Amino acid sequence: MPFKESMGVPDLGVGVGLRVPHYREILERQPKVDFFEVISENFMGAGGKPRYHLERILESYPVILHGVSLSIGGPAEPDRAYLDQLRELVRKVKPAWVSDHFCWCGASGAHLHDLLPLPYTEASIRRVARRAAMLQDFLEVPFALENTSSYLTYTASGLTEWQFVSEVVERANIGLMFDVNNVYVSAFNHGFDALEFVRNVPHERIVQIHLAGHTQLENYIIDTHRGQVIDEVLDLYRETIRLSGPVSTLIEWDDEIPTLDILLAEAERARSVRTQGLALRAGSDLSIPAHTPTRPHLEVQSGPWRQGGPRESAGQDL
Amino acid sequence: MTSDLLDQELTELQVWMSALLRRRTSLRKDPLTTREAVARIGRNPRLSPVEQVEIYREQFWLRHSGSLLEDFPGLSGILGQEDWDRLIEGYLEAVVPTSYTLRDLGRELPAFIESCGWLPHQALCRDMARLEWAYTDLFDAPDCGELDANKLAGIPPEAWSQAQLVMNPALKLLQVEYPVAALRRRLREAADDESVPIPEAQLEQLVLYRGSDRGLYYRSVSRGAFALLSAANAGFSVVAAAEQAMNEVPDEPIFASLGAWFREWGTLRWIIDVTI
Repeated sequence: MPFKESMGVPDLGVGVGLRVPHYREILERQPKVDFFEVISENFMGAGGKPRYHLERILESYPVILHGVSLSIGGPAEPDRAYLDQLRELVRKVKPAWVSDHFCWCGASGAHLHDLLPLPYTEASIRRVARRAAMLQDFLEVPFALENTSSYLTYTASGLTEWQFVSEVVERANIGLMFDVNNVYVSAFNHGFDALEFVRNVPHERIVQIHLAGHTQLENYIIDTHRGQVIDEVLDLYRETIRLSGPVSTLIEWDDEIPTLDILLAEAERARSVRTQGLALRAGSDLSIPAHTPTRPHLEVQSGPWRQGGPRESAGQDL
Repeated sequence: MTSDLLDQELTELQVWMSALLRRRTSLRKDPLTTREAVARIGRNPRLSPVEQVEIYREQFWLRHSGSLLEDFPGLSGILGQEDWDRLIEGYLEAVVPTSYTLRDLGRELPAFIESCGWLPHQALCRDMARLEWAYTDLFDAPDCGELDANKLAGIPPEAWSQAQLVMNPALKLLQVEYPVAALRRRLREAADDESVPIPEAQLEQLVLYRGSDRGLYYRSVSRGAFALLSAANAGFSVVAAAEQAMNEVPDEPIFASLGAWFREWGTLRWIIDVTI
């Protein structure tokens, strides 16, 4: 039986990442949003405002947990205290699935708070697949890993990224969190064909798709989650949906976070492309416009990037 | 080659790169790193191997210094850009981040400041860092219930000699040499071009707490009240805590103040329960 069917992974529609500047407006307005995704670590073991806001959101919306600190490919085994806190959060939120990244976050005891790329080797596959399978059993909820944007490659890599990703999810029997913007960013940075990546992952294992903006610098692209999703990424998204069918899709916008209305409009823009992809899959694309909706051009510079945007903190209080 | 050896090689690669990313200075001018990077990092038509690693190294510093700036607005306001940058660069070089969350990044900053004899207003900076770390800790401390007035009324008078106060987990007691809580507020409210005077030293006993609206607050209390709260927080019974406070602050009417203090502390949710 296909992974999503056997694990009961639903299609939640089109959602957005829950970010601090929107908390108040969401709770007051209760806008129509199919689902929210939160950064797990921002709510693990926490009381106070973070926990309060999460509980209010849970009263009205499905919430998915997305982690950034598991370091599943790092030298050390995942930290037991971290896993216990994550499981406690999972039991509270009851997400349809939980995800993190194909990455490592530090070595020799250091946690560098970055999604560092792994070499695409058999050793990495074995390490990540073993831990991912263990984690899915431990959390008792479908688990997925996300392809990351990367800015370097290793001489040790003997596989393509899509071969690596596919091998891990198959061996571990987990889901794939497919970030289409990350495919675009890494394809540009490393000179591979993004469409080849999209067409060569196990589509039946894609539990969720991420879409986001990025920052184009002179020699490379950084995955800043800033600005709107560009047309080329939406084209890849349409093809992903054509190949995978209806998959929950999420807009991430973490830097220069816009008004809630702009964010929700971006989600609707993604929804229209999703509809196009599903129509293509059904073989009836005649009434669907071939071009993607227009977007304004944004001039942006690079700064520090941080998954999930600023965390809610005492620095914003008082 | 066995899988163990492959796994060991993977670990060695990660240890090498992890150390590089914490280096303060650019990797581009280091010949050894450049040679090692050529052996380990793939070729790219636009970026050399060492330039690829450098992207991650720069982001390590930007991300971590940015996080500390968010959590220590008062301290950075005292220091100004140049001294703040020097302090944070030294801190991030000396203290390896080990927690999964950036929220914990500033935990050792107050202690690190003690070692920074070059800092202007060092004692003021230390107090501000202690205050701001305490706020970070309070912000997401565990939630708790409120004091049950009916339970309180039901405690027989003779039982009070054994009674212990249960303090709110979102409360901290902080004695400072400078009025940093008020200074922090002034710094945050000041306009960009406004200068805020450095305050004179003034010993202050602060109670930092999270209110019922989950906002963070502070109150300055008397030395006697602070001593009693400290003893109660350490697990002393009400009576023992009051006696300790009287010994520490003999010139303050501790027993006469108890009733008013307990009413106020219950209202403010500093005390959340009384156990016998």
